[in-house]
Order: sequence, then structure tokens, then C-alpha cells
Amino acid sequence: MSQTTFDSLSDAPAEDRLAAAIAGIAGLEPARVAVVSGAGGSGRSTTEYAALAAAVTRLESQLDAARPAGVVARASRVESLLVIAAACGRQHVPVAFLAEDSRDLVGALRDWVELDDTLELPPPPPGGRTRREFETVPPPVVVATSGTSGPPKLVEHSWDSLLAAARLAEQWHGLAWLLVYDATRWAGIQVWVQALLTGGRLVVPASRDPDTVARSLVDERVAILPATPTLLRRLTTSAERSMLERVAIDRITLGGEAADGPLLDQARATFPAARITQVYATTELGEVFRVADGRPGFPATWLGKALPGGVRLSTRRDGELLVQLSRDSAEIGTGDLVERRGDRYEFTGRRSDVIVVGGAKVLPGRVEEVLRGVPGVAEARVYGLPSGITGELVAAEIVLSDPPPQGSTPDGVRSTALTACRAALEHHGVPRILDIVKRIATTAAGKTPRRPAVAPHP
Amino acid sequence: MTPAVAAAVVTAISAVLRDTGRNGRSVEPAMLLAADLGLDSLDLAQTIVLLERSLGCDPFRSAATATPAVRTVSDLITIYSQALDAP
Repeated sequence: MSQTTFDSLSDAPAEDRLAAAIAGIAGLEPARVAVVSGAGGSGRSTTEYAALAAAVTRLESQLDAARPAGVVARASRVESLLVIAAACGRQHVPVAFLAEDSRDLVGALRDWVELDDTLELPPPPPGGRTRREFETVPPPVVVATSGTSGPPKLVEHSWDSLLAAARLAEQWHGLAWLLVYDATRWAGIQVWVQALLTGGRLVVPASRDPDTVARSLVDERVAILPATPTLLRRLTTSAERSMLERVAIDRITLGGEAADGPLLDQARATFPAARITQVYATTELGEVFRVADGRPGFPATWLGKALPGGVRLSTRRDGELLVQLSRDSAEIGTGDLVERRGDRYEFTGRRSDVIVVGGAKVLPGRVEEVLRGVPGVAEARVYGLPSGITGELVAAEIVLSDPPPQGSTPDGVRSTALTACRAALEHHGVPRILDIVKRIATTAAGKTPRRPAVAPHP
Repeated sequence: MTPAVAAAVVTAISAVLRDTGRNGRSVEPAMLLAADLGLDSLDLAQTIVLLERSLGCDPFRSAATATPAVRTVSDLITIYSQALDAP
């Protein structure tokens, strides 16, 4: 790969870089694969850099002719999203990525045109505004938050902040990246931006089923696995052992939720050759910091001093982590609670996830940690169930490990789990509803949901 | 008072006692929830969720009725019987 392609990239304005990278790689090595779709399944297909570059050029000329007020990316294929992003960026057209569960937010963007997988620009909406000419101001990129603990909302980003976390050094060039995230969300966008800017190959598994993910990692020789702790836990506990043993990833990048010690240990045992990096980022703030030492939380010494990039961390009295991105910006509450444990600050949960039982607070993550430590329990999810008597009640779902421990019964595991909770937790923190389920639902963002799966109010 | 509701209430309370490590107590309609069975507000909240699952209703949630006094097992049986009879 030519070093100069990437050197000249960082000189280009941020909004031009995706299109420039795609064109640059297509010029040098047209047949290089940019995207593998349906990996690990029967519908596997590949898209080369040359094909991406041609689609970008085609869409750019349509955008140049029509000058829409903005584009809402409605495509379901990842390849189409990449083309829309690259073309809109270089043509200075604002672009919005809306995930399935945030589509009703489109009302705020009613002047904008929608682009689907055909990549054919429709006429502007009736009475819709268009721009006469090339807008000189760099356009925004609109992304919806994941809505793990509240309704999703739209956040406007600059191309600079969207690309800020991409690693461009040579060691990152030409690698295969697994995309288990929703490609329209911040975390997913980060993965495909990173892959494209470094001439990499984006591998999109046919589904999030653990065996399909494991097969994609093996068959496509994936080097980097970005995942949430929930998705990684499901992979390491549920995928077929023999397939996991053949996985040869170099690096796991965890984000979106806090990773606890047991999960990090389990990941190291399953993938001994992989380095584990934890990324702390939010859709609103972008990437704030990374922890690469493989331990939960972050070093306690980081609090109150400037980190690389000028970020400062502090805590509110109730333990909420505050972030100040630079010296002259305001402190922003993250909604994440941290607690000092030895020489670390560890994440204990989201403030909005706290379950209030008769006035006492329960952190669901702590209860899950206890449940997962019980022999025979593979996965756990804890959430608050509304109660007319106590406000909320702690409820939990567990998935039994397969195969079960010698001589255990489902009822036995359930009762051991309750006994373990009574021993480790305060009275009000012990789950009052404990269901054995086949699998635990994850949100579209790949996180553990904190609300009841079925609304208790009919 | 229907036998099915009475059985569901007894089953739910027994499950709460078992889940909280208080095995082997028999539950009789005349028993006082707090004094005889040792149920606290969390236990009662759990019983109500279990009964919502088995009987499909939660009379403590509807705003129309003020929270009725519940002292005995048979008070609970009455409340659920009435809630299920209501149109």
C-alpha cells in the first residue's frame, strides 16, 4: 500500500477524506475488497474499492446537480451507507444516519431527501428547500443516540469529530474489521470510517448469532473485533468452542458499556493473543479516552489532571463521571457512575439505570456480576419492574450454561443464584423475579436493555 | 371467593417464601401476612407480580380503587376474586 495515499489524506478537509480514501485505494488496487456482507452465512458477497469509488462518483454528480438541503440515509446495506457518507461529505451536503428505532425523528429533517439502496436521488419534497450551489461551510453529520436508557435523540456532529478517533498510522493499514454494531450508529460509523480510511476490509456478519460471528472471525481472517461487553460475553459463552479456538484476532476494542473484571478475564482466556482496549465514548462527546491495560475502569490517578488530548475527568458527589473536553469547555455530566476500588475508578452503571426499591438504590450491573458468578449461569440481565408497593422491584433473567454443570438442574441453579444474591447483596438488591430464559435480548446498539422486555402495563 | 384464585394466591406466597429461603411453611387463608408469615413490603410486591403473571391482573395498580387493607391471606384472595369478577 502506498504511504503517500494516506499522507495526503490527512491534509484533505475532514469531509473529503472518505471519498478521497476510497478513490485513492481504488486507483492503486481496484480489486481490493472493501466490504464483505453476510459473512458467516450463505448470502456472503463482497464489494471492491473500485465499485465503491464508482458509486461515490455517480452519487456525487447527482448531488451536485440537485443540491438537496440534506440527505437522510435510509439504506439497509452497509455498502450503500458508505457511499452516501463519502459522497455527501465531499459534496458538502448534510447527511443523517437514522437507526431503525429512531426513524420517527425524521420529522425534524423534513426538507431533506431520503436515499435508499438504489442510490438514486429522489426529487426534493414538495415545497422543500434546496441549495443553489456548493455550500462552502462544511456540512454536519446527524446521528441518533443509542437510547439504552432513554428515548433516542438526534445529535449533530462535524466531520472533524466523526473522524477524530480514527487511527491512521501504518500499523492499522489494510486490516479486517468486524462490524457487529448497527452501521447507522456512532459506534458502527466509527468502525467503517476507520476501515475505509486505512484501506481495510469491513466484515459484516450475516447475523449477531454467536456461531455466525465466530465463523465470520475465522473465515474472513478478522484482525480487529470492536464490540460491546454484552456482545463479547455472548460470543465467549455461547459460540461453539472448536470455532472459537480457531479465531486469530489481534485486538478487541470494547465500548458502549463498562466491562467488568470477570468478562476481561474470560476474553483473555478465550483469545489469549488479542490485546484488549476499552474505549470510553458517547454519541454526544465522541471518544473521550481509552484504557489499554486490560483492567476494568481507569487508573485513579487520571482524575483531575489533563489526559492526552486535553480531556479532564472529575466526579460529582453522587459518583457521576464528569468530562471536560478542553480547558475552555464546560464540564459535561456523562450519566455514568464510577466508584473508587483500590487504584482504579470502576464503572458501576448508568445513573438512569439505577433501580429504586422502596427508596433504596440498586445498581443492576452489581447484581448481574453476582448472578454471572454462579456456576451454571452463562448470562444475566437485571432490570427494574414497576411496583405499586415499592416503586420498583429488582427483576432478572438468566441464561443457563450449556452444557450445565455436572448434576445440576435448572431449579437448582436458580435457587443457588438466589442464595448467592442474598449472601452478596443487600436485602432490597436481591432479585424478586428471576426467570430462566433461552437468550437475553440485546438492544439494536448491542447493549443489555435496562427496561422490562414486555411492558408490564397492557 | 373462587378456589382457583385461592390456590393461585397460596402458590404465589409459597413461591415467595421458597425464593427467599423460608422453606417448608404451609400457607393458610386465615394467616396474617406479616405476623404469621413474616411477609414484608418487598415480599408483598413480589407476590403481586407473581399473581399478575398467574391471574393476569394487578388490582393494586388500578387508580380507581384506593389501596385496600391487606392483612390476611384471605384478604388477598378476596381482592383478586373481586378484581377478576369486575367487568
